[in-house]
Amino acid sequence: MLEIKNLHAGIDGKTILNGIDLTIKPGELHAIMGRNGSGKSTLANIITGRENYEVSSGTVNFNGDNILDISPENRALNGIFMSFQYPVVIPGVNNTYFLRAALNSKLKHNGLKEVNAADFMRLIREKLKLVEMDEKYLSRAVNDGFSGGEKKKNEILQMLTLEPQLSILDETDSGLDIDALKIVAEGVNNFRNKERSFLAITHYQRLLDYMKPDYVHVLIDGKIVKSGDMTLAHELEEKGYSWLEA
Amino acid sequence: MKHFQKEFDELLDYWPDEDPSLRDLRLKAFNKFKELGLPNKKWEEWQFTDFSSINKFNFRLSKDSDLPTLPKTIPGRISNSYIIFIVNGHYQPQLSEIPSSVSIAKGLDHFRSNPELYSINNSSNPFLSLNTSMMNSGLPIYIKNNAIIEKPIQVVYLTTNISDELMNHPRFSFNLGENSESTIIEQYIGSTSNSYFVNAVTQVNIEKNAKLNHVRIQEDDQTSHHTAYTYYNLNKSSILNSTSISSGSKLYRHNIKLVLNDEGADATLNGLSLTKHSQHHDQHVIVDHNSDACHSNQLFKYILSDKSSGVFNGRVIVRESTKQTDANQSNKNLLLSPHSLMNANPQLEIYAEDVKCSHGSTTGQIDSEALFYLRSRGISKQKAIELIIGGFAEDILENIKNDDLKTFLSNNIFSWLEGTLKNE
Repeated sequence: MLEIKNLHAGIDGKTILNGIDLTIKPGELHAIMGRNGSGKSTLANIITGRENYEVSSGTVNFNGDNILDISPENRALNGIFMSFQYPVVIPGVNNTYFLRAALNSKLKHNGLKEVNAADFMRLIREKLKLVEMDEKYLSRAVNDGFSGGEKKKNEILQMLTLEPQLSILDETDSGLDIDALKIVAEGVNNFRNKERSFLAITHYQRLLDYMKPDYVHVLIDGKIVKSGDMTLAHELEEKGYSWLEA
Repeated sequence: MKHFQKEFDELLDYWPDEDPSLRDLRLKAFNKFKELGLPNKKWEEWQFTDFSSINKFNFRLSKDSDLPTLPKTIPGRISNSYIIFIVNGHYQPQLSEIPSSVSIAKGLDHFRSNPELYSINNSSNPFLSLNTSMMNSGLPIYIKNNAIIEKPIQVVYLTTNISDELMNHPRFSFNLGENSESTIIEQYIGSTSNSYFVNAVTQVNIEKNAKLNHVRIQEDDQTSHHTAYTYYNLNKSSILNSTSISSGSKLYRHNIKLVLNDEGADATLNGLSLTKHSQHHDQHVIVDHNSDACHSNQLFKYILSDKSSGVFNGRVIVRESTKQTDANQSNKNLLLSPHSLMNANPQLEIYAEDVKCSHGSTTGQIDSEALFYLRSRGISKQKAIELIIGGFAEDILENIKNDDLKTFLSNNIFSWLEGTLKNE
């Protein structure tokens, strides 16, 4: 599904990724762990198409197509989603309106009928229950006045609504208390199936304890230095990263 | 100036039988206008706007013969509202509909009973003097005591396609009786590609415990000049919700003066200015806290595209010996183009101690983080920009409770956005 080969990239003339190779197949959950500044978020931003990043070499293919030259919205329409590390507040834009606009954009892209407001409300109420969010968050502006935990739940709510093929979870565990962390992990776990893939980016193993990744990769200085399974995550928790540094 | 003199002389000839006291007022006002002249860069309160173009046209006063074949439907109508229709300065009572609790007075009677409202002695605003000297349209509108009028009253002031360059000096007065409640929409529209000049003065008096929702919509044609002065006087425990939305005119200058004149008066002044091409919008607001326990809240937003420019000058004055004042002022501007320009100058003048005041002004571009966030959800760039700007504009309408009116205004904002973003 996602195939990254020899990716070198950076921002503002500074190289951050130094040759990433990563293949994620349908149904797999991969975790990328690393310190601050190791390039985790850069990788997520490049996959989702944030502007201002420069790719100097390498390819990123999604379902066989090179996606580096297509717009963020088209990547999303093709099935890529990112749960943001810092979800953005958008004043004056109603959360329900936003969610429905996003879903309808996707339905239209897939040649399906758009949902009307009433049907959408039925659908979104079901999804809200899955992440234990209060309905009041629907009538607010996007992420406006949301606590850190509610913002992250709102990200997962969007994932459940848009049903992407590939979900990138960028530090979804940061800023969550243990209850919210369980709810978010549960939301992701229930959403997993053999078609859907995940890339979880995190500092800590605690999210991974709930999500049970198939693969764990360690990113240091823009390179994957070690890959393994959940035991690698436990090892990192015990020993830190320095034993892997050259 | 010569040109205005000629028009003024013709006006005196045109209405030879006018009441002598009114004629005397016109003469005094015109002399004051001549004495002041048009504002120039040296006038501190007017320095960011170039008014010289007003002198480049041969604007002539509208006459009875300028009444065209009336349109079959009144443009810009808001569903479920009363209507007062004025075309090229001519009131059309047969096309108007007002409730029984509203009455329309004669201009002369209003002047006789409120001479102080017509005094230009202490004013340094030449457009007020010009309006007073040439006032030729507009109406004094009275809302009876205790009248609660649910449906909005829409006043449409339309300028149509006349071969000459017309000017009009509408003089409106909205008088809200004690305990009354109403919504008045004052709307300026043009349907011509000719140049014209609207120089409006609106004076609003809200009596004890009365509540007014005043919506001013300025959608004059891009070929027009529009200058305006709005004066609000709030009496004891009265409430004003004012919303001003302007997208029209090549050159627009609006002076707003609000006086909180008795205890417990409460005013919200919201403004949204939408500019494109080389439009220039200049708004100058003075909020005067002249009594105790009054509350004022101002929010003025500008969305500027192309080479357009905006000026916001807001001043809050809290008079000595007033108590428990609560005054907020906020100005937020969004530049959609690297060539657009905004000049903001919020000011506080506080002469009292028991005061809660805040003010601030920000100017920026579309938040690229917000844009990426929306696009990463599959929303197109164009639609995402529309949503962000729409969201920015929308809170101007927060005090509009009437659904028909809110939908009307919201649709107007979105159709402006759609039209503007297509050309960006």
